Amino acid sequence: MNTIIKNISVFIVLSLFTVFSAIAQQSDYQIQQDFQTEYTELLERIEQAGTSEALAEIEDAINELETNYNEHSDIINAALYPETFENVFTTLRNNHAEAVENVSTIEELNEEILSLESELDSFRSRLERMNQETADLQQKIRESTQNEARQAALIRQYRENIEERNLFVSNFLGDLLSKYQSMDRAQRQEITEAAGRLEENPVDLIQNVINEYITMMEQAEGLETPDFVSMKAQHGYFVEVWNQIGEQLTTTFMPDNPEQARANVNQLLSNWQESISTNLWASLQTAFSENDIQLNEFSSSEEFNEAIHNYIDSSYEASVDANSEDDYQVYRNFNSFWNDTVKTEWGEMFIEGDILTQAQIAAVDMKLDNWRDEATPKSNLTFILLIVSVAVIIGLIVLLLTRKSDSGAKS
Amino acid sequence: MIGTVSCGSSLVIENVDYSQPLESVLTPNSENVVHDQRYAIKFSVSPILEAEGVESVNEIRLIRNAAGYYFVTASGFQNVYVFAPGEGELELENSIDFLEDNLQEPAFNQRSSYIELVDLSDGETYRLDQDGIIEEETE
Repeated sequence: MNTIIKNISVFIVLSLFTVFSAIAQQSDYQIQQDFQTEYTELLERIEQAGTSEALAEIEDAINELETNYNEHSDIINAALYPETFENVFTTLRNNHAEAVENVSTIEELNEEILSLESELDSFRSRLERMNQETADLQQKIRESTQNEARQAALIRQYRENIEERNLFVSNFLGDLLSKYQSMDRAQRQEITEAAGRLEENPVDLIQNVINEYITMMEQAEGLETPDFVSMKAQHGYFVEVWNQIGEQLTTTFMPDNPEQARANVNQLLSNWQESISTNLWASLQTAFSENDIQLNEFSSSEEFNEAIHNYIDSSYEASVDANSEDDYQVYRNFNSFWNDTVKTEWGEMFIEGDILTQAQIAAVDMKLDNWRDEATPKSNLTFILLIVSVAVIIGLIVLLLTRKSDSGAKS
Repeated sequence: MIGTVSCGSSLVIENVDYSQPLESVLTPNSENVVHDQRYAIKFSVSPILEAEGVESVNEIRLIRNAAGYYFVTASGFQNVYVFAPGEGELELENSIDFLEDNLQEPAFNQRSSYIELVDLSDGETYRLDQDGIIEEETE
């Protein structure tokens, strides 16, 4: 039994040896053909590699190819002449290094695009949430007409909501400004190449945000002068940022027609400004009117300043002419609204929003001082006291003269 | 070592090594002509096909040994043909028979002092020179 097993084992070993011997017989031609095939495949893999992981695998494959074929380098040198086995690996490694650099740049860019996409998504979703809150508040304001206190509270909340939105958009613009101002041409070019993958790029987003602002201005329910002044300042900031990075953004994200993209945004900014102005001047006119100050119609900062001066000038003239108590009341009413509301509550915003300058406010203050002097009613008491004084003096003189003549007659 | 012998007007260079490091695998065109651009030789394989009794062949395997003889064969051939180059001709020097079983997947390898013929189908190897199969010395 043992002899049979031993014989079978020997047979198996011999058979295996024969098979391996057959396999071991190789054609030199085939070896170099296989080498060239593997080399060509590696070159193609390097060219098509899109990730660091793929390139790491290729690097291992290059090393493996070199190890596997090193013993056949003479055959390969003969086959490749004038190319050499060594040069083949130099070429492979140079191409690989170049690909690693390219992929690294692409991966960095992809990360940047992903980060940008994520930022834009986050901005968009937050903005949509705010828009929804604003719409809900508007709806509630409309429904709460019966309850003034509740409506006032809702309007306050609505205005705060808009302020918060403005601040959020301003921060986003600030981020855009710092990011794109610091980018060089090469970085922008790289982003341009990948920007097509973005569903909504920053230029699209800016256009959408401006459109939302325009809609908000068209449905300016419950908003008052300070809200429009604040919106005017927001518009100013938008224009400032756009002027600084608009060209870079459009050439980066709208490379096909950046001029048209810029013109579109400029047009939207202009429409937004117009809708703010319409609301702002109307609300200012109403605010003055509600305080019994009827200003001439105005639709610009200059015309508003002129309307205030016209009002003061004509009231001043009336005071000079009549110097009545009514005129003085007109002065006091204007003075009170000017100081308590316009200067105290709105002054800073007016300056920031380019509605009135510091110098223009000071000029109105000076005119008010003159108006006060003329409007203050002049009293008759002084005149009466003078008459009384003169009469008393005359009476005393007469009395003295009478006494003097009496004493002369006695003596 | 290369030596030269000058004799009258003739100049002979000795110890020339014609060996081709790798076999050439050539595909005949429609006229059964093969052209090895690398080693600069072009000839018709029709006489070889006729000798083998076949009409066509996909590939011809060709190698030259150090002495300058060309060895030609192909899959399915019974022989390896050894040619000596002449003036515009290849003259058959030897025809090495493999009668037992035709060469199924023959391949030539250049070795230091001989041409190795491998039949890749069964791993059988033969040492050849222009005179035929070299018997391996038993150790």
